[in-house]
Amino acid sequence: MEYLRLAVKNLLRRKTRTLLTLVGIGVAIAVLYSLLEFQRGYERGLNAEINQLGAQIMVVPKGCPYEAATIVLHGGKWPRYMEESYFEKIIATPGVSQAAPILMDAMINPATHDNKIFLGITEAYGALRPAWQIDGAAFSGPAAREVILGTSIAEKLRLKPGDTFRLRQDAAGRAAGKDDADLTVVGVLARTRSQDDGFIFMPLHTLQTLFKLPGKIVVVLVRAENIDAPSLERTTQALRDLGGNMNIFPLSELLNNAAQLMQVTKVFVLAIVLVAIAIGAAGVLNTILMAVFERMQEIGMMKAIGASPADIFALIWTETVLLCAAGGLFGIGIAVTSARGIEWFLRRAMASQFSQLPETALIGVSPGVILLCIGLSVALGVLAGFYPAWRASAVKPIEAIRGAN
Amino acid sequence: MTTPILEARDVWRSYQRGAETIHALAGMSLTVQPGEMVGIVGRSGSGKTTFLNQVGCLDTPTKGTITLCGTDVTGMPEKELVAFRRDHIGFIFQLFYLIPTLTAVENVELPMIFARERDRRARAREALARVGLSEIHALPHQLNGGDMQRVAIARALVRKPRLLLADEPTGRLEHGARVAIMEIFRGLRAEGLGIILVTHDPTLAAETDRIIELRDGRIVDERKAG
Repeated sequence: MEYLRLAVKNLLRRKTRTLLTLVGIGVAIAVLYSLLEFQRGYERGLNAEINQLGAQIMVVPKGCPYEAATIVLHGGKWPRYMEESYFEKIIATPGVSQAAPILMDAMINPATHDNKIFLGITEAYGALRPAWQIDGAAFSGPAAREVILGTSIAEKLRLKPGDTFRLRQDAAGRAAGKDDADLTVVGVLARTRSQDDGFIFMPLHTLQTLFKLPGKIVVVLVRAENIDAPSLERTTQALRDLGGNMNIFPLSELLNNAAQLMQVTKVFVLAIVLVAIAIGAAGVLNTILMAVFERMQEIGMMKAIGASPADIFALIWTETVLLCAAGGLFGIGIAVTSARGIEWFLRRAMASQFSQLPETALIGVSPGVILLCIGLSVALGVLAGFYPAWRASAVKPIEAIRGAN
Repeated sequence: MTTPILEARDVWRSYQRGAETIHALAGMSLTVQPGEMVGIVGRSGSGKTTFLNQVGCLDTPTKGTITLCGTDVTGMPEKELVAFRRDHIGFIFQLFYLIPTLTAVENVELPMIFARERDRRARAREALARVGLSEIHALPHQLNGGDMQRVAIARALVRKPRLLLADEPTGRLEHGARVAIMEIFRGLRAEGLGIILVTHDPTLAAETDRIIELRDGRIVDERKAG
């Protein structure tokens, strides 16, 4: 305890130097914490999104399956379609419990990048969303001119059940002969904290009519009867055996692939962060070593009045560990308080690799990651402090004191 | 018969500089009794500080024996030497070497921290009172030279050593502070402490019981002071 107090006082002796070293470690730890949290958040978010889909298998038209998965997870425009009739084959496949055909389209305002994402669904979609709570009513029929709004889009458009949603096609839509329409808002979803909050749902046939895509769908979400791996494998194979120009895509595969991609990125970024931490360690070593050299006479005096080499070693080591631990805590503090800003930056920086990241907050507060970062900071202090502490403990009192005279 | 606090017998300290052997101490012998204050004088390089380091267990003689409080410390292992030094010897330096971020009383507590002793604050206050310093919570830079040396003396005394080694203790002090510090030394002598005082200052040396003059690591003169 006394050593801790002495260490604090010694560190405060040169405040600027201590602060700069602490900030150096803090920044490296903040980056590390953010990346680890980002990765955890990404996996957590993706998992949650996939779980919220309520399905285990995705059937999409041929094309990049990851792109298709991203569109399905987050909504968007993907001009690849399959025939609705194909859905009948899917639902009849052994091992399939439920299946929901979906048509998806979007209107994007190029000036504001404001998206309106439309999902054409059937009653089967509701079966995949047992937790849905609708303020209002379900669609009155399979071709009703009605919409159900996700809570975010309803707030944004300031619409409530009973209001009219005015669908006005953009220039491209009009050029393609798509229709404007006034649709009744029959329901608004209670907040799901998923991608559904931003979607505009309408009956499948209504969307097909308004967007001039008769008989087309973009994806079929499939819920299997049994979700153990061998059963899923069999169901997937059975769907593949149906033939057609389709991709049969188990969502666990998507999760694994995304995790692998994230892992590769993480390894690369971690390598950079570790280099930053190593530089930080060199900075700490330099700072403490400099302090030891400056305090040679003082260390000599301490030995003369009864400090053993072990006492001096412990004193200097405590200072280093304390400095690094404080830097680590500072870094975690930065990361947690600036989580939104850091997340915004990372989302932008990683946009090229991950076309769509989960909507949920990716950087949060995880005790495990905090402990890991603090542990790493302390380990950094233990390593960086060893040499200066050893040098200090080996000081010969006479030579040290004589050096000042 | 009282056991001498220090018995140094034929102490040599030699260094190798290239092919040349330098004898910083060349057969120095000295006995200090309890309650005796010995002044060591001599020019720079005469071996005064080297001798102080030998008897202070900060260095090991090349040859000869040093017996402190009846214990032969020559060849004692480093760990035991540290403990012996901590328990029996007090050091006072010309440049005080107070820790600038610690208050006077905290500086005095330091030797007790290293000795893992309890009740430190009360004993540090007591030691400071003994040297007549009342500003116990002042930082070193808030004190004058004389008061800084009082803190250093209190630090040396706090663990009740038998032998006090002072290397130019008044070298950086004004006349008034010098007089006050010598008054403290006289008081300590009266309490039975053995004191070895290394100095260039003839008036300070004159205050001791015996003056030893060194030249080239040997005693060239020994006389009663005053």
